[in-house]
Amino acid sequence: MANRIVVDPITRIEGHLRVEAKIEDGKIVDAYSSGTMVRGMELILKGRDPRDAWAFTERVCGVCTTVHALASVRTVENALDIKIPPNAELIRNMMFTSQLIQDHVIHFYHLHALDWVDVVSALKADPLETSKLAQSISNWPKSSVGYFKDLQKRLTGFVNSGQLGIFANGYWGHSAYKLPAEVNLIGVAHYLEALEWQKEIIKIHTIFGGKNPHPNYLVGGVPCSINIDEANAINAERLAMVGSLFEEAKQFVEQVYIPDLMAIASFYKDWGAIGGGLSNYMSFGDLPLNGYDDVSSYKFPRGIIMNRNLNEVVDIDLSDPEQIQEYISHSWYDYSGGDEQGLHPWKGETKLNYSGPKPPYDYLNVEEKYSWMKTPRWKGNAMEVGPLARMLVGYAAGKEEFKEVVDGALKALDVPVTALFSTLGRTAARGLETKLATKWSLEFFNQLLANIKNGDSRTFTKDKWEPETWPKEAKGVGLTEAPRGALSHWIVIKDKKIENYQLVVPSTWNASPRDHKGQRSAYEESLIGTPIADPDKPLEILRTIHSFDPCIACAVH
Amino acid sequence: MNEKPKTVYDDVKSNGHSRRDFLKFCSMMAAFMGIKSSGVGQVVEALETKPRIPIIWLHGQECTGCSESFIRSSHPIVADIILDKISLDYTETLMAASGHQAEASLKQTMEKYKGEYLLIVEGATTVGDGGVYCCIGGKTFENRLKEAAEGAKAIIAWGNCASAGGVQKANPNPTGAKAVHEIISGKPIINVQGCPPIAEVMAGVVVHLLVFERIPQLDAHGRPKAFYSRRVHDTCYRRPNFDAGLFVESFDDENAKRGYCLYKLGCKGPVTYNTCGVIKWNNGVSFPIQSGHPCIGCSEANFWDNGPFYQHLSQFPGFGIETTADKIGVGLGVATGVGIAAHAVTTNIRKRKLIQKSKKDDDDDS
Amino acid sequence: MEETVHKSPIKIKYIWELPVRFYHWLNALSIVVLCITGYIIGDPFAIQKGTEAYMNYWFGTVRFVHFAAGYIFFFNFVFRLYWGFVGNKYSRWYNYVPLKKAQWVEIWDVIKTDILQIKCKPIHSLGHNALADITYFFTFIAFVLQSLTGFGIYAAMSNSWFPKLFSWFVPLVGGDLAARQIHHILMWFFIIFAIIHVYLVFYHDYIERRGVTSSMIGGWKFVESEEEGEC
Ligand code: HEM
Ligand code: HEM
Ligand code: NFV
Ligand code: SF4
Ligand code: SF4
Ligand code: F3S
Ligand SMILES: [Mg+2]
Repeated sequence: MANRIVVDPITRIEGHLRVEAKIEDGKIVDAYSSGTMVRGMELILKGRDPRDAWAFTERVCGVCTTVHALASVRTVENALDIKIPPNAELIRNMMFTSQLIQDHVIHFYHLHALDWVDVVSALKADPLETSKLAQSISNWPKSSVGYFKDLQKRLTGFVNSGQLGIFANGYWGHSAYKLPAEVNLIGVAHYLEALEWQKEIIKIHTIFGGKNPHPNYLVGGVPCSINIDEANAINAERLAMVGSLFEEAKQFVEQVYIPDLMAIASFYKDWGAIGGGLSNYMSFGDLPLNGYDDVSSYKFPRGIIMNRNLNEVVDIDLSDPEQIQEYISHSWYDYSGGDEQGLHPWKGETKLNYSGPKPPYDYLNVEEKYSWMKTPRWKGNAMEVGPLARMLVGYAAGKEEFKEVVDGALKALDVPVTALFSTLGRTAARGLETKLATKWSLEFFNQLLANIKNGDSRTFTKDKWEPETWPKEAKGVGLTEAPRGALSHWIVIKDKKIENYQLVVPSTWNASPRDHKGQRSAYEESLIGTPIADPDKPLEILRTIHSFDPCIACAVH
Repeated sequence: MNEKPKTVYDDVKSNGHSRRDFLKFCSMMAAFMGIKSSGVGQVVEALETKPRIPIIWLHGQECTGCSESFIRSSHPIVADIILDKISLDYTETLMAASGHQAEASLKQTMEKYKGEYLLIVEGATTVGDGGVYCCIGGKTFENRLKEAAEGAKAIIAWGNCASAGGVQKANPNPTGAKAVHEIISGKPIINVQGCPPIAEVMAGVVVHLLVFERIPQLDAHGRPKAFYSRRVHDTCYRRPNFDAGLFVESFDDENAKRGYCLYKLGCKGPVTYNTCGVIKWNNGVSFPIQSGHPCIGCSEANFWDNGPFYQHLSQFPGFGIETTADKIGVGLGVATGVGIAAHAVTTNIRKRKLIQKSKKDDDDDS
Repeated sequence: MEETVHKSPIKIKYIWELPVRFYHWLNALSIVVLCITGYIIGDPFAIQKGTEAYMNYWFGTVRFVHFAAGYIFFFNFVFRLYWGFVGNKYSRWYNYVPLKKAQWVEIWDVIKTDILQIKCKPIHSLGHNALADITYFFTFIAFVLQSLTGFGIYAAMSNSWFPKLFSWFVPLVGGDLAARQIHHILMWFFIIFAIIHVYLVFYHDYIERRGVTSSMIGGWKFVESEEEGEC
């Protein structure tokens, strides 16, 4: 008999995610992923000024804050045919990369690390050995014996207080933890350092967008003006700060994040064969260098990989009504034309209709509808999106930078290319693209300086700002690559107001319930076959689910 | 692992002092604090039993932006807050335990520290259709909130969502979202407004509670006066341009490049109470207005429906975007003018008739 | 104070005492000033470019004039309220509050006569007619609201104790933006009231020839000895 376990709440993620899994002979044989909170953002957006939409959609998520704002201004610009100035593109790119870097670092240390790092075991580490180890893998200065000794003392005091706070009831001592005590101690040290550092890189948002979380965006460009002779605008001091923050980011990622990632991965190579799940990957691509319309200029290329075939990148056509569609046969919604059909987002509908068990409940009725997420499909196929998809598309497209970091990591870990299709591969891909992003950030930054030097300080296009200049009806799509993957916003504007607004979000692709044909999406599929040592302590489920970096506020919205 | 919290007494003990030393210390503290000897017992008890303050942080209908903001705090930095100042016993965003282990942590703190823990709420509470729009662990968020509020010493409502319902409460509020104070009564509730609030303000409120052990002074909307008693407009460094009548007319125009006032782009600074101009964001780096965007009023209840954002007053309910009171006023004014003209014409016709009639009467008389 | 002078066939009646007349014109003036400055505050024109803040203060001046006029307007209005209890019978408060049936009957009559122009019958009231009274009643309510919202939002930008007396009102309507919105909309009420009011004053003069217009200057109205008439 299969044993059905429930993990709810799944913690160390964004949002309200519930997983129900059937376990047989110590392995997961079926799994159900459910988003249990909805706000109805698509309904709230109706009838509003399209120029305001970015602020609403940005509040879909404060973790990947800005990516919805970016997709939103792009969808309006696409609908109204607005071209933004080159500086605005560069500033948006820098906000994109600083977001991606910060989010990935937070994910690795604060949301994912405790699946691999046993905090309690760190108490037993030898500070001298730890220091030696730390120095052997990185040049990061904070690695003296004294440093680790002090940290261990602080940690001991904390544990002895008996109030374990966020570490209480963790899975400490679980047989799936494999790291030596010294690596655990390094992990804890960098947990704290990363927590302190992440608040620095994000100041780039504050400079250009006034605050973080939830910096300001603007249809037609960016709100900040550049004037190097004025205290009240982006001037030399502000730019210098951006430059140093990116330099520090590069250092932190290269000297802390990547070495830790590789050190930890080397103890968990078996996870290079677990949690692979789907075999189709999709990336919309992003970081344009020559205007958003020139897809070939993107740093992250656009494309699809089918059946893990790394020899071919398939094209995506967004306006084709048969390509991207959302289904609701297992979601708590109604479609006016029947629940079995798929709707292209321009024709998308959002009508909440809960039909699950009355709370409090023990189990969801997974045969019927069981989630607030819709189920997106590409030509009827379930797709995985996210860092792994991006790295695979870049790799398959033959981009040098991608090949270099991916091959380098495979070689260092001594694993085959197929190890990419796994829980470990997903986690590694996230680190590797962070490394690329730190490098690209400085390119964008230098390009911005060059533009200003050449006398171009424009950051906003005014011509279509006034609603009088808009057509009576317009449709648009805005895309980006959010930290968690391919994000699209779809707008229909009528009489200067939002007639329809649909978001199809990375975590929706990955975490959605199965579709009308019973095909599982990425989370559910990737759990199949996962070994579970102790069904009472779902550590392995957390590892694979966390490798996607779930964001359920995003996924449901 | 030791489950019992370490108290001040334990500390004294572990430093090699006796119980007698400890009692001596307590009476000294009591004398210092002006407590008569009969009250010494209370002090002893307080110090013997006082652990780091336990905190339960609940997540409702939220974007987790408030959590993200909190971890941006620079003074104190968040690692120090959670390791040394508080015991963050439950928060879905950061806690190691999941599923029923997480639920056990929650229950443990609620029972063990009944009446002592601080409840922090992020996100709105949905009450629509029996609360099915937000369930955690199979229970509605509304239910969880009420349970946790029961034994809480005080409640902090983080951000616009918990303080006022936030973005999900914006028209048409599809899920019946509500603020904490609309659900819970009889407990002190501190509304730390903003979407999200500034990190240092969040940390500041926690520190206030820990150090001064009382609720900060609140304004009429339940916001701590220390951070919300002044309008953004009053501390805005662009204010001299406002008084001088120097306004940005459109984004990135000459005036924008000179840092003029953003009032005409819809700045809500004059109607928004927050400390953005003083503390600023992310350790004083900047704030929305400094980076060229008007304030959208994110620390005011209902700000989502006060838009559109690029007009300084709201659009008129029921009319199209860009329809302000002025447009309607001018329309009514013109209509009045036309009405008056028509009225004047008919009056004249009537009066002429009257004159003719009286002329006729006169003629008849003669 | 009330007296009737017999000068057949037309009587002259002293209706508006000096304080009422003084109040009226000060009120009219302050409202005109408040509407002009208020409109500018709501939608300032762009006249300056390429200059420094320290060299200009025009917007501050407009606002100062608005606040100063606001004080005058308010205390003048308070005075009028006082006079509503001590003045002559035409200025008493009960004229304005339609509590009696006769007042409602007259309101309907005036609507039929003046606005719909379907009936011709002279209106008997010597002060204001009842429709005018109820209009003024609403106007007075608008005065109150405008003062509450005006001083309410002013409380946040003033250090003086007086505006602070009004700060309780702002949270009651939902915050500063809502208060400002009401304040702004009421401006249009005053503008439209003023247009209609001034027109009606001249209209009544034209139709009734009782010297309504000048009555607000001299205080006297002319009344025919036998109040009658037909269309
Ligand atoms: C008939 C009377 C009044 C009219 C027509 C009037 C009209 C206006 C208008 C249209 C605005 C601009 C609102 C906006 O668009 O944001 C305004 C602002 C204002 N009014 Fe009045 N107002 C009147 C009386 C008062 C009074 C009695 C006060 C009390 C002091 C007052 C104080 C203010 C204040 C403080 C502002 C905001 C100024 C600023 O923030 O710069 N008003 N008024
Ligand atoms: C040419 C300009 C004006 C003239 C000739 C005028 C004349 C008059 C007259 C004759 C009355 C008495 C009405 C009656 O007997 O029914 C009156 C009352 C009144 N007027 Fe005017 N008016 C003028 C402008 C204004 C303005 C601009 C306002 C303000 C918006 C105003 C506000 C009032 C009020 C509130 C009353 C009621 C007075 C009271 O009973 O205390 N007037 N006016
Ligand atoms: N899924 C998702 Fe997001 C991301 N990355 C957005 O589009 O997290 Ni909140
Ligand atoms: S107040 Fe704003 S930042 Fe905080 S949870 Fe709500 S939407 Fe997110
Ligand atoms: S920018 Fe906004 S807050 Fe600053 S002075 Fe102008 S209106 Fe006030
Ligand atoms: S939008 Fe919010 S962040 Fe401050 S400047 Fe305005 S209150
Ligand atoms: Mg959607």
